[in-house]
Amino acid sequence: MTDNVYNIDRIDPGAAPEGSKDDVALPHYVPAPCQVACPVGTDAPSYIGYIWEGKIEEAYEAITATNPFSSICGRVCDAPCEPACRRADSDGAIGIRNLKRYVMDKLGKDFRLPVSEVTQKQTVGIVGGGPAGLTAAQDLAEAGYEVHVYEMTDRLGGMMIWGIPAFRLPVGIIDEDIERMMAHCPGIKVHLNTPLGDEGVTLDELKERHDAVLLTIGAWWGKSMKVEGDDNERVVDGVSYLRRINNGERPKTPEVVTVIGGGDVAMDACRAAKRMPGCKDVKVIYRRSPEEIPARKDELEGALKENIEFIYNEQPVAMIPDGDNLKLRCVRTEMGEPDEDGRRRPINVEGSEHDIDCGMVIMAVGQQSESTHLEAKGLMDRDRVKTDWETMQTSDPKVFAAGDGAFGGSTIVMAMQHGHRAAYYVKASLQGHENVVPYRTPFRTRDVPVSQDPEWELFHREEQAFHGLGDDPVSFPEIETTYDELSARKEAARCYRCDVETGASDYTVHNREDIFVMARTAPEDERTQFAMLHKRLLPRDNPYPEGGKPSFDDLVFLPANLSRLVIDPYRDACNVTTQIAGKLTSASPGLITGFDDAPDEVREDVGAGIADHGGAYVGRRPLPGVENWLQLVDGPGDMNAAASGYILLDAKGDYVAFKAAAGDKLCGVVLTHDDLADRLAKSLEAELDVVLLDGTGGAGEAWSELHANCDLELMRDTIQCLRSMNREEDVTPLYFGGLRSGTDIAKAISLGCRAGILGIAAAMAAGGTVENGAISFYSDYSREDRREGIANILKASAGEASIMARCTGKTDVHNLEPEDLRSVTIATARAARIPLAGTHRFLEAAE
Amino acid sequence: MAQIDLGAISVTEANKLIRQYGEAGEDVDILNPDARHHIGVGLTHPITARVHGSAGYFCAGLTDGPKFVIENNVGWGLADNMLSGSVVVHGNAGAIAGVAIRGAEVVVHGNMGSRAGQVMKEGTLCCRGNANFMAGYMMYGGRIIILGDSGDKVGEDVTGGSIYVAGKIQSLGSDAKVFDLPSDELDSIMEFLDRYEIPFKGTFQKIQNSGKGLRYSKIEPRVRNIPFYTFSGESDYWNQKVQEDIHVKAQIGRYRIRGYGAARPLPHLGDIAFRKDLTSAGSDSGVLDRVNLATEVGGKNGADPLKLSMPLLIAPMSYGALSKSTKVALATASRLSGIAENTGEGGMSDEQREEADQLVYQCLSGRLGWNIHDMQRANGLEIYISQGAKPGLGGQLMAKKVTKEIARIRGIPEGIDLRSPSRHPDVLGADDLVIKVEEFREATGYTIPVSVKLGAGRVRDDIKIAMKDGFDYVQLDGLQGSTGAAGNEVLEYVGIPTISAIQEALDALAEIDCSGQLQIILMGGVKDGVDAAKAIALGADAVAVGTGAIIAGGCIACMQCHVGTCVVGIATQDPEHEKRYNTAVEARNMHRYFESIRWQMAAIADAHGYTDIQQLGRGDLVALTPEVAEITGLPYEPGYRNTQPVAAE
Repeated sequence: MTDNVYNIDRIDPGAAPEGSKDDVALPHYVPAPCQVACPVGTDAPSYIGYIWEGKIEEAYEAITATNPFSSICGRVCDAPCEPACRRADSDGAIGIRNLKRYVMDKLGKDFRLPVSEVTQKQTVGIVGGGPAGLTAAQDLAEAGYEVHVYEMTDRLGGMMIWGIPAFRLPVGIIDEDIERMMAHCPGIKVHLNTPLGDEGVTLDELKERHDAVLLTIGAWWGKSMKVEGDDNERVVDGVSYLRRINNGERPKTPEVVTVIGGGDVAMDACRAAKRMPGCKDVKVIYRRSPEEIPARKDELEGALKENIEFIYNEQPVAMIPDGDNLKLRCVRTEMGEPDEDGRRRPINVEGSEHDIDCGMVIMAVGQQSESTHLEAKGLMDRDRVKTDWETMQTSDPKVFAAGDGAFGGSTIVMAMQHGHRAAYYVKASLQGHENVVPYRTPFRTRDVPVSQDPEWELFHREEQAFHGLGDDPVSFPEIETTYDELSARKEAARCYRCDVETGASDYTVHNREDIFVMARTAPEDERTQFAMLHKRLLPRDNPYPEGGKPSFDDLVFLPANLSRLVIDPYRDACNVTTQIAGKLTSASPGLITGFDDAPDEVREDVGAGIADHGGAYVGRRPLPGVENWLQLVDGPGDMNAAASGYILLDAKGDYVAFKAAAGDKLCGVVLTHDDLADRLAKSLEAELDVVLLDGTGGAGEAWSELHANCDLELMRDTIQCLRSMNREEDVTPLYFGGLRSGTDIAKAISLGCRAGILGIAAAMAAGGTVENGAISFYSDYSREDRREGIANILKASAGEASIMARCTGKTDVHNLEPEDLRSVTIATARAARIPLAGTHRFLEAAE
Repeated sequence: MAQIDLGAISVTEANKLIRQYGEAGEDVDILNPDARHHIGVGLTHPITARVHGSAGYFCAGLTDGPKFVIENNVGWGLADNMLSGSVVVHGNAGAIAGVAIRGAEVVVHGNMGSRAGQVMKEGTLCCRGNANFMAGYMMYGGRIIILGDSGDKVGEDVTGGSIYVAGKIQSLGSDAKVFDLPSDELDSIMEFLDRYEIPFKGTFQKIQNSGKGLRYSKIEPRVRNIPFYTFSGESDYWNQKVQEDIHVKAQIGRYRIRGYGAARPLPHLGDIAFRKDLTSAGSDSGVLDRVNLATEVGGKNGADPLKLSMPLLIAPMSYGALSKSTKVALATASRLSGIAENTGEGGMSDEQREEADQLVYQCLSGRLGWNIHDMQRANGLEIYISQGAKPGLGGQLMAKKVTKEIARIRGIPEGIDLRSPSRHPDVLGADDLVIKVEEFREATGYTIPVSVKLGAGRVRDDIKIAMKDGFDYVQLDGLQGSTGAAGNEVLEYVGIPTISAIQEALDALAEIDCSGQLQIILMGGVKDGVDAAKAIALGADAVAVGTGAIIAGGCIACMQCHVGTCVVGIATQDPEHEKRYNTAVEARNMHRYFESIRWQMAAIADAHGYTDIQQLGRGDLVALTPEVAEITGLPYEPGYRNTQPVAAE
């Protein structure tokens, strides 16, 4: 893993540029390390998430949003995202690049972005049709400007087309990206075969024609080693060599070729030479050790697999003609102290001269820019266009520059970053802005859920199939294929998704990433320590803003520790069997309700599940197989003789008559806040057994819990009212409304109820799905699953309620009491009349 | 043969002498024992000690190798955690005889009290008379031989090992079952009885685990987390997270298990701000030179305190929950930063001991990995009563993580879904605990601090007990504390938030006029030096970080610690997964994280003009939410939310 993405810019990023699509407003968002490592800020985590979900078009949008050369990058990007990937250290980075290729191979060719029309009067001239120039062209065209691209060769693409051999980047891929861009931006006008200078177009002409000029002329020329004999005809430079090959030439090549250098050009050159007619052996000579070689790991490994020999710690000092061959005179090197860029400096070992025989030498030791035309205008600084990074301007304020030509040879993705950056400053200049907000690579997120493959931890990196030289090397068959759908999804599932929220509020992405930065900051780096301290000092948002509703969630149990004897909580030593008024016994403190109007098949399955567990049902109609049935009735006339008891839905009814009709059977009434005190008094007077506290206000109607949540006040007021009459023991409260788990039931019991009634939770356990304000059941859920689901939810709820009781030191869930609870919010403390955790003061209900 | 007269000297002096005789290889006679507690505790030499009379609690406890003979009766906890050697009692033994033995041979010629052999792992416990109820309770291995009758619930919750009963079995415990007795086992019993010259004719019923209940029958489906912000909310009460929860439970029929701590937002240190304008805190270089952070912990009763370079410890996390590499990396990081590491439940490894300069050794209810040798090489001993993630319950370690190596170090069968007992066999209340603490001190010569780890619940009462019981310091863990595996409902809904815990603890000490007399290490969701400084300003003496350190060391907070296939190689025992962890790199990362905490604490104290971190006080704090104001009594000043400094340079 590279630590350099955990830098101060991440802690203290400064303002985003005006108009950037910087979608960091999501409160939890922190860009993932792979995204930070990407010079154009590609939202890799989102496209990976989309791939797992099978949403390829969305993935395509995420990929192409900041990268106009996505098809190319899917194959040949140097992918700095992968070493930054946090899984790199573990069992291998996510195949981010190849996942991009998977999407682009599927959609890249035909998929089109919406058309950006020309809306501005001003025009821009861009010299050079490489990645930097074309990226800038697209950004400017998207902003409505007409853009003229002047390209000295006969095609667009720059080093992407002239520098990368077709075995890595097959012919036609580049056209996908360019055609997409041209269709997307009709305002881009292309002038091929138009070099800068008198033979094409001059700078003065450009300035005349356009309101701004951007020079993206590339670093087209290979550097020489400047050693004896490097002007020999058997010595060529890497970029020129690749240019010839990429133009279609397949020159007859000596048997032994030596490539000097360790960068990406050296890799492409050595692999291209290996495929040439006549060539047998290719050796790469690099002056430092394997640890320092800058080539991308994949390219290096590819070359090794193609039997290219690497000779490290070897410095060429002369090239001596030897008949038809060359003697490459080298000295051995050893590694000295690190230099400015952190790599150790090679030191020649005295007296170690020796010769390597070969037929040809390819020098791949760097690139440079050349333009006599610009030099004459005073715009060059040695081999680069003199450019201010802060403004991307040359010494001529109307002329901007970017890319390799301005800042030295680099990668495609860096060139694109330059293109974006230059376009930003050109646009600012065209709009007449001064003192422009500094450019920063925008990081967007698309808020994609994490993959849900349970094996995500176990999957190993899916490698691309590697074909090497192939059957006919000289035709440059492609070396690799991309994923199939299965392996792409497996690879996508592996992603840690460093960008998404964890399930833990204390370890939000922000907190987690800050800890990560703290762990990667040297103690003596006070600047970063300072920035981090000040980030950490920012207060979090109030998790309980005013007006929040009371909730079961905000009640906690007080465990027994030293102060109470704890029985062993993992075993069945806590009673959960629930007797109601001595007339009904349920194996679980959770009763089931809500299936009166469900399809018959569902009713049968639920009934079987309740019976399996020894539970009880509360409803208007009996459930098949359930003996313990509390019938909800509108009046005595509805009473079914098969019921174990009756609950009157009409709270305004005549309780005494109802009780008389019920005889010895359990009887009770449904109560809400309406006239609660009076009706409780009436219930006691009529000697009803139970009061069913209806937190939803719609007991007896279908799925009333969907429209109302829990009602802690109802329990509080009922108990307080009974207590004020000193009649707590004389009627049994049951609670219905928003119970989701055994823990919720245990809380209702602690607050004074005997049992809780599960409606929606039971429906979901039986496979019900919430649709249009109701619950639907479908045939794809098996009958056995429904039955087991109900038995299991009863079992699990009983188990959970039992654990809560045992943690507090109780051997019976019905011994739970208000003293076992504390609140964590003021709203809940008032609603439940339970003190806040850490206090023992009762907060009275707000007036 | 040397003689020691307990009528003339204290048990503490006697135990020192016994150990000296042990080193010299000389047997001892102990006269006038008069049922004193802790006789012979901590002896690790193979001498014979003969007690002429009756012994009290924990006789021969925490020993390895000696032979004890007690002429008369013994109190409870006989041969507690004895590794090897033997004890012969000629009279009766009290409750929990042979508790947690790991290889010793214990013979009681009379009767035994209840719960004999509780959580024993290896060795033989033999009783010529009758055993009271629940013999073999939660035993993990070894054998109990009862020549008389056994009481109720013999073999209750037995995991491993066998109980042989010659007389009547009053009733079997849950999970226990009677099996046929193989002849080789009978031969082995007879050989044992011959060796101890116990005449016996007859046969035995053999009791073992019924084969059920050691593993969960249905595996919980694995999912990746749904973020907490869809956890609940009025707009969507039956949200995705609730639905997922119900669906999983409808499949498995039990509570769910996961790693980490309470996931939902709770009142916390983040709802507190400093009153002082800290805009320039840390802007002058050299804050570490201007603020004293060094803190000593645990010296109040004369033991050698932990000497911490700052008021920070690593929270207890077990080898078992975490890989060995991770424990070693934590130990290294603690050494580099001059703070203390804690073994957690799973015992101490040599590698961990070597890496950590200061290592606290934790004793849990199951006595997993507990032994006298590691006690004596620890820098602190800690009795775990509970933890914030699952107060009131014991630890859990899923079968995938109970490897051969883990089973060996813990002394348990391989491949079980390990559920540790929720309470100590020998601590049923505050008064037992005093005697237990004394046993530890006797075994280690009063030189090592003894602390208690408490999950926050009824803190007001617990802290008063901890004070009364003479602990050297308390590790107090709030609801936000994490774990490698616990039931989700317990993680979310049992216990009180960290900030409530510290407040109750301070109130409790004030109520008994003991403010400042018991050091409190606060933990549970402490993430950085800002949290640490706030905790100290509130009144904690130091803080501990667990999850923060693990994240600094590469954890990605997927909360699947219990599964055993940790993607980064931290919470795993699978060598293939552990390979993913780079110990040296992560030790460095964690060390840097601790150093960053140090810098933050120093910069905050410095900005207040203080030269010692402990000068921070409540007057420096304000509450940003009404909840935290109500809990802590800090002034409610929501305006400070907006006047906090904005990162700038």
